[in-house]
Amino acid sequence: MTDQWPRYEVFKQDRTDGPFRNVGSVHAPDAELALMNARNVFARRPACVALWVVPDAAIARRTAEQLAAGDAVEIEDSGDSGRYAVFSKQSQRQTMTYVDYVGEVTARSVEAALQTAADTFTDVPGIVWWACPVEAITASPQSDLPGFEAATSKLFRMPNQYHTVFTMQKIRRGEEGEE
Amino acid sequence: MDDPTYDTRLAEFETRIARGEKIEPGDWMPDAYRKQLIRMISQHANSEVVGMLPEGAWITRAPNLRRKMVLLAKVQDEAGHGQYLYHAAETLGISRDEMIDALLEGRAKYASVFNYPTLGWADVAAIGWLVDGAAIMNQTMLAHCSYGPYSRAMVRICAEEGFHKKQGQEMIIRYSQGTPAQKQMAQEAIDRWWWPALMMFGPHDSDSPNTPQLMRWGIKTRTNDELRQEFLDELVPGIQALGLSVPDPEMHYDEATGHWVGREIDWDEFWRVIKGDGPMNASRLAARRKAHEDGRWVREAAAAYAQAMG
Amino acid sequence: MDAAVRDALSARLLAMADDELVLAHRNSEWTGHAPILEEDIAFTNMALDELGHASIWYGLYGELTGEDADRLIFFRNAGQYRNAQLVELPRGDWAFSMVRQYLFDAAEYVTLNHLKASSYSPLAEAAAKIATEESYHLRHTGLWLRRLGLGTEESHGRAQAALNVLWPYARQLFVPLPNDDVLVEAGIFPAAGLLLNEWTSMTRSHLADCGLTVPEEALPRRDVDRAEHTEHLMALLAVMQSVARLDPEAEW
Repeated sequence: MTDQWPRYEVFKQDRTDGPFRNVGSVHAPDAELALMNARNVFARRPACVALWVVPDAAIARRTAEQLAAGDAVEIEDSGDSGRYAVFSKQSQRQTMTYVDYVGEVTARSVEAALQTAADTFTDVPGIVWWACPVEAITASPQSDLPGFEAATSKLFRMPNQYHTVFTMQKIRRGEEGEE
Repeated sequence: MDDPTYDTRLAEFETRIARGEKIEPGDWMPDAYRKQLIRMISQHANSEVVGMLPEGAWITRAPNLRRKMVLLAKVQDEAGHGQYLYHAAETLGISRDEMIDALLEGRAKYASVFNYPTLGWADVAAIGWLVDGAAIMNQTMLAHCSYGPYSRAMVRICAEEGFHKKQGQEMIIRYSQGTPAQKQMAQEAIDRWWWPALMMFGPHDSDSPNTPQLMRWGIKTRTNDELRQEFLDELVPGIQALGLSVPDPEMHYDEATGHWVGREIDWDEFWRVIKGDGPMNASRLAARRKAHEDGRWVREAAAAYAQAMG
Repeated sequence: MDAAVRDALSARLLAMADDELVLAHRNSEWTGHAPILEEDIAFTNMALDELGHASIWYGLYGELTGEDADRLIFFRNAGQYRNAQLVELPRGDWAFSMVRQYLFDAAEYVTLNHLKASSYSPLAEAAAKIATEESYHLRHTGLWLRRLGLGTEESHGRAQAALNVLWPYARQLFVPLPNDDVLVEAGIFPAAGLLLNEWTSMTRSHLADCGLTVPEEALPRRDVDRAEHTEHLMALLAVMQSVARLDPEAEW
């Protein structure tokens, strides 16, 4: 057993009409605390309106390189089909988020869901694909929204609250210091 | 290499980096790339975690309510940054357990700067302006790094770190224009943190054997000495404008090159502290070990509960 | 505002502010020393929120009395502080800090619920703002208490030991201040007895769910006045005020 607890991938939604984006992960003993930790780690600053956490082990991942190399996605047609949430990395731009939620597909396994996703969402650039069973997602309740908004009151975390450049200029000009 | 396709794959890998693509977990990468990244990222993560200690000791002493909240938020961010960085390293196949064990057993490195003591309140200010200022230069470079998870962690960290430097600079500015006691406090803090901050950029390029490969693979895009020079050129005039000085009698502006130049760093001290013989090495590790040991029953309890609820 | 109401209200606000400040101080001692990185971040969040709440209560107090929060915090002596002893006790082990935080969060939760309807609108507005953060604290500590109470034999033992010490101290949060009745009559602040009842039923039921036993024999203790303190507060203030008092005229 790992002393640092298992890992949960965290997806954050910045606006109610925006996508859930993978921002990183937290370690937690269970989904309930994972959600709690996700808030503390990733919603210290604005903006956040909702969070999802998913156990690392529930997620299948393929990069475009792996899919192109035909890294076998074995379709097990023995399994029952289920609903899978799929995510993709959509740009090479320098950013702080990784894969975005794209939608759901029906597939017979999480591995199969990856291929199905790439075949289904053809208009989405798929530099990397992730999939997980929809029931593996634990979502923050609607009632958390005011709590997330509370981060906006912690203005001292914002660099624009410090007028150091302006003050240095004044001092260099020989005027009285202080902002 | 046993793999007959190694050269082809390496060429493809280097072409992708040259094109500005990010390498993602799951992509092919040379073993040396993975190892260098694990070394760098875990060291960086450990530095954030140990870095909570020197400033953390002043949270309970901050001299007004706003400073107390700012410092708490800053040290909390450092925990967060350690968290992001451990995550980035984990994508390379090393667990947080392994990295933390290596730190606690004294096998892993972390930034030597945190092995120096904070002896006054203004040290918090000097750490913000000098140490975080130096860190931001390094991190801004690393945000361009070719490895996706490290780059993303750095972009997030840089966005949060801006206020760390500014709150420190704000204090040094204020104290430099403040009461005699404050001015003295600020000068002493700069004297204490100046050399450790310069050492943060690492050894001279000529003594940095990893640099050429790290640059070729887009992990680093600038050398230690380039970054250090940029730091000097920004900080020396800033400190002097406040009527304070840097503890280096040889520091001067070189008209020919347009750069600030000072005395050579005491490299004996640099290597000594890295090897564990700094003023606070033992105490920092002891504090981390104690937190880890004292917390074991807590981690076990939560894990046992999760298992029981299954 | 009537002078009697103003005096009663300012006494109440000072008690609330001091509780938050001193508890935040204790919680901030965990920063860098928590059982796991995620909890360093979580406990620091609670300390930050509490400082924010203290700042709001000192601000409302200042509007009534003209006094400045930083002067109050850094230049009063232990005997002038009005926090409950619950929050000044040393942080102890993780169970002690967590149980204390839970008991305090529950008290704040039930109090804020009533304050949202306070006839003194600045108080009602502040309570509504704070309540969102506070319900999160309560959820955090509530979840953790369950894990400590039901986790392992050791965690249960530590949580129970903490509760045995803290339960009687927590009661001081509900001891009425001398002029509280003026506030109750004006619909500004709820009656302490009402809050105590709500808090007791809430905490007793959750503690039972967590397998923890309320130490009945520890009650009742006498009503401890908020002017009474342990020596721990003096030691805490010696640290907290050390830099500010180096140069009382300085701006930091």
